[in-house]
Amino acid sequence: MMLMENLRLALSSIKSNKMRSLLTMLGIIIGIASVIAIMTVGNSLSAELTESMSSLGAKDLNISVVNRPVDIETDDLFGDVVYVYDEDVEYKRPTDDDYFTTEILEEYSNAFPDDVVAISVNEQVGNGETKQDNKHANLSVIGGNYGFLFSQRFKLLQGRYFTDGEMSEASKVCIVSDIVVENMFDGDMDKAIGSAINVAVNGKEYTFYITGVYEYEQDTFAFTNSDKRKDINTIVYIPIRTAKAITHSSSVYQYFSVILSMESDVDAMTENTRKFFNDGYYAYNEDFCVDVYSMAGMMESLNEMMGTLTLGISVIAGIALLVGGIGVMNIMMVSITERTREIGTRKALGATNASIRAQFIIEAIVICIIGGIIGMALGIGLGMILTKVVGTPAKASLSSVLISIGFSTAIGVFFGYYPANKAAKLDPIVALRYE
Amino acid sequence: MGEEKKKIIEMRDIVKRFYIGTPNELEVLCGIDLDVYEGEFLAIVGASGSGKSTLMNIIGSLDRATEGSYILDGIDVSKAKDEELSGIRNKKIGFVFQTYNLIAKTNAIKNVEMPLMYGGVAQKQRNQRAKELLELVGMGDRIHHLPEELSGGQKQRVAIARAMANDPAIILADEPTGALDSKTGRIVMDLFHKLHEEQGKTIVLITHSPELAEECQRIITIKDGLIVGEREGGAAV
Repeated sequence: MMLMENLRLALSSIKSNKMRSLLTMLGIIIGIASVIAIMTVGNSLSAELTESMSSLGAKDLNISVVNRPVDIETDDLFGDVVYVYDEDVEYKRPTDDDYFTTEILEEYSNAFPDDVVAISVNEQVGNGETKQDNKHANLSVIGGNYGFLFSQRFKLLQGRYFTDGEMSEASKVCIVSDIVVENMFDGDMDKAIGSAINVAVNGKEYTFYITGVYEYEQDTFAFTNSDKRKDINTIVYIPIRTAKAITHSSSVYQYFSVILSMESDVDAMTENTRKFFNDGYYAYNEDFCVDVYSMAGMMESLNEMMGTLTLGISVIAGIALLVGGIGVMNIMMVSITERTREIGTRKALGATNASIRAQFIIEAIVICIIGGIIGMALGIGLGMILTKVVGTPAKASLSSVLISIGFSTAIGVFFGYYPANKAAKLDPIVALRYE
Repeated sequence: MGEEKKKIIEMRDIVKRFYIGTPNELEVLCGIDLDVYEGEFLAIVGASGSGKSTLMNIIGSLDRATEGSYILDGIDVSKAKDEELSGIRNKKIGFVFQTYNLIAKTNAIKNVEMPLMYGGVAQKQRNQRAKELLELVGMGDRIHHLPEELSGGQKQRVAIARAMANDPAIILADEPTGALDSKTGRIVMDLFHKLHEEQGKTIVLITHSPELAEECQRIITIKDGLIVGEREGGAAV
């Protein structure tokens, strides 16, 4: 009964001072809107990171031959092992003898049968294009083994992967993207399979027969190399040996990737792999050793950093909210001074201190909640727009909405209490005589 | 006054001091004895600075006396706590102020309902009661008007209806016609007479106007914190 009466009073008081109430609410509106928008963007980015983490193969280990460092340190930020080099020394370039051979890779693979699903090696041939009549497509040619094709995690739309024979015989076969098919075969995949394309790369032209078509997916974090879909440079996959033949390189590898099984512990395997090579094949190599890294640890830290960043910005938004709350307190003080006579009259009519206090606290809460709701609407809208620009569109989480409503109520109570209490403690005689 | 009437107000040796314990200590009331009987229409007159406002505040339970005892309708006000004083003001006293003191931006009926609301009366009953009272004071056709839409006389009539809301033991009117012209002042005074005669209300009128005081049954004059005169007025029975 009293609550309804107080709500009615609060609303009519806000209505009769529209401009002032709006300005008072502004602090709350801005604070709540920014908290919600920031939380939404933060959630969106985290979701995106997690998604690209799995698509990029965060569990993959990347192993490469590097110069022997002067020291090995542990990075504070990511907790990774970092190789330290002396900047003044000119390091040797590795020769074929220092690289990984196919036999070493096999031995490594056999050493960890439960962890290693596949070993991925590739050979970059280079950027090029294919032309036929007035048709044209941009592409880059990469040769890979089965492990590499698997690690790319693309979706085969039509056709097949390479056969063992094609792999070992360095056949002129390729897997192209649907964009190439769209450009060169008018999107007809059936026609594309088995057809030949001429690829100009590094000033020479090569002919490959298409065995399969994969679906091109935009890499979320990579820069788009073109605005128009038809101009996008996509990868043409060829067998590793075919690529080696084109680049005239020997069949050794400076680096390779390992695709780990789902159960495998990335951190442990990173350490084991390092030991396997550095305590084994490279133990007596004076100039070179092996470095191992994975994206998993980095992604984890990146996610953590994102969380911290979101929290940090939220705290700043929270300060805006605090300032807004002080604004509410200020206006409540003014309002109470203006209404001193009313307070005196109410007391003369039998209002207790508690009911006067309740009246003004409720007024402060109503101001804050209205501000909170407006801020929430703005924040949700702003979050949607921002996430559309930044990445995956995301909606404001229910928790952020609940937090903001709870927060604005709390601000109302906290910053309303002092003025309301001041009103409640007014001496009715003084208040009645107040001019 | 032949037969024994019920005492509504019984004040004994009321003393009020301000700034107690400081060099500026000031005794405003110096020992007031006052009895007001049920159904009486009493005027308290005095020049400004005589202590009549302080006496009114004590009668109205807005303030407590420094010394002395005050029994209002059987309740010992001098010993009441703050919360109890709120209840006493709500149930026992109907205030009418010189400046009306209607709550702004709140219509006539809501203003009249206010003491009922603080008294915990349910919405339906208080609406009913407020309507009746506004009709009694001749404001039945303006119950939804806001104070700023009413003339001074109309505001004072709404204020009187509000003072009557909880059927108080006394109506305490502080210069009720002070801000009104003589014509509307007359209407307001006639209303007090009507409430006194028809409803048997006990009314205490505080004024500095001898003519208005003359209309009451009994006139008490205050000077320098003491009752210096008591006589029957024109309306004496």
